[in-house]
Amino acid sequence: MEGASYQRFPKIKIRELKDDYAKFELRDTDASVANALRRVMIAEVPTIAIDLVEIEVNSSVLNDEFIAHRLGLIPLTSERAMSMRFSRDCDACDGDGQCEFCSVEFHLRAKCMSDQTLDVTSNDLYSSDHTVVPVNFTDSAGYDSSEQRGVIIVKLRRGQELRLRAIARKGIGKDHAKWSPAATVTFMYEPEIHINEDMMDTLSLEDKQSFVESSPTRVFDIDPNTQQVVVVDPEAYTYDDEVLKKAEAMGKPGLVEIYAKEDSFIFTVESTGAIKASQMVLNAIEILKQKLDAVRLSEDTVEADDQFGELGAHMRGG
Amino acid sequence: MNAPDRYERFVVPEGTKKVSYERDTKIINAATFTIEREDHTIGNILRMQLHSDENVLFAGYKLPHPLQYKILVRIHTTSQSSPMQAYNQAINDLDKELDHLKNAFENEVAKHARDF
Repeated sequence: MEGASYQRFPKIKIRELKDDYAKFELRDTDASVANALRRVMIAEVPTIAIDLVEIEVNSSVLNDEFIAHRLGLIPLTSERAMSMRFSRDCDACDGDGQCEFCSVEFHLRAKCMSDQTLDVTSNDLYSSDHTVVPVNFTDSAGYDSSEQRGVIIVKLRRGQELRLRAIARKGIGKDHAKWSPAATVTFMYEPEIHINEDMMDTLSLEDKQSFVESSPTRVFDIDPNTQQVVVVDPEAYTYDDEVLKKAEAMGKPGLVEIYAKEDSFIFTVESTGAIKASQMVLNAIEILKQKLDAVRLSEDTVEADDQFGELGAHMRGG
Repeated sequence: MNAPDRYERFVVPEGTKKVSYERDTKIINAATFTIEREDHTIGNILRMQLHSDENVLFAGYKLPHPLQYKILVRIHTTSQSSPMQAYNQAINDLDKELDHLKNAFENEVAKHARDF
């Protein structure tokens, strides 16, 4: 008894793709799928982050837990995270989370010996695994690459020292935001803007100009040759209704009509650098598939219901 | 002090079933699925997918309480189908849609890498 399939075939078009940024169009699906993808990217795509800190010496101005918290928030390169184990279901170390399958160890030793304050940064963290290191922002963000700027953890003055051991583990953003690979993930409905040209022709040039200027974002403009109002950037529209109110105020309701296409979305994905933005989308799809697989009915539930069905049929005299 | 562990939000406790199914006692072809440790992410895509099924008369989900980490999905179908059949069909269709999406995205990434 297989029912008909109601599968959709969504389309994707990438507009812009950088290591830590992606912008793409998603079409022929509905908001529930777009929102599920967004939610999974923010809260359920795993990364690696420092989760346990043992402080040996800390004579800095910041207290131990303050430093531990700062360490946790440093993004670590997490390409390995998808294939890594969660510490809580790691068999190799009985869940104490200190083995190579589920954890990475870091060491930090810094002591200020001069009168100049010493910046302790993420570059001072020494990793036991060369694939899991603090994210290096210098090349992608456009800073001078000769300047290796890490994330500042603490500043030390003469004689102050920081020495610690840290364990990084795999986790998800639902557990703690430090594990979220997403800086921002947003999607918007693609707007569809229709100008009633006949009605627009009845406006004077000044009216057209004030209509164009009524939009807080530059959605419309006036063609210098034909003096007609044209849509220059529909996506700049923020669904603020300002131009519709303006049209109404000018006594021209219906001058423009704006719809949100219910099946077209424009996604913006920004990564913290832990994983590439494109990989983040792919991982999200994979995680969502795994989640769907986990909510399939188990065999014994189906069996129990079959028996119930027979019983019911029997009781109805079948 | 007595805060529950954070992982309780997404780890199914031992001895509990991820999905349980309960038929409606009064209405034929209606049932409620209780899904442990899931939220709007799964609830909403299942609901919307079920709405595209012609044999589904009603499909809805709720998160009964923000501190109870479970959702209830209620399905009522025509006699041509059953809640269980509709539920399985919705998951299969979504799974295939995501397969398609994954391929589409990978192709686009490859295309993008070539062009730029």
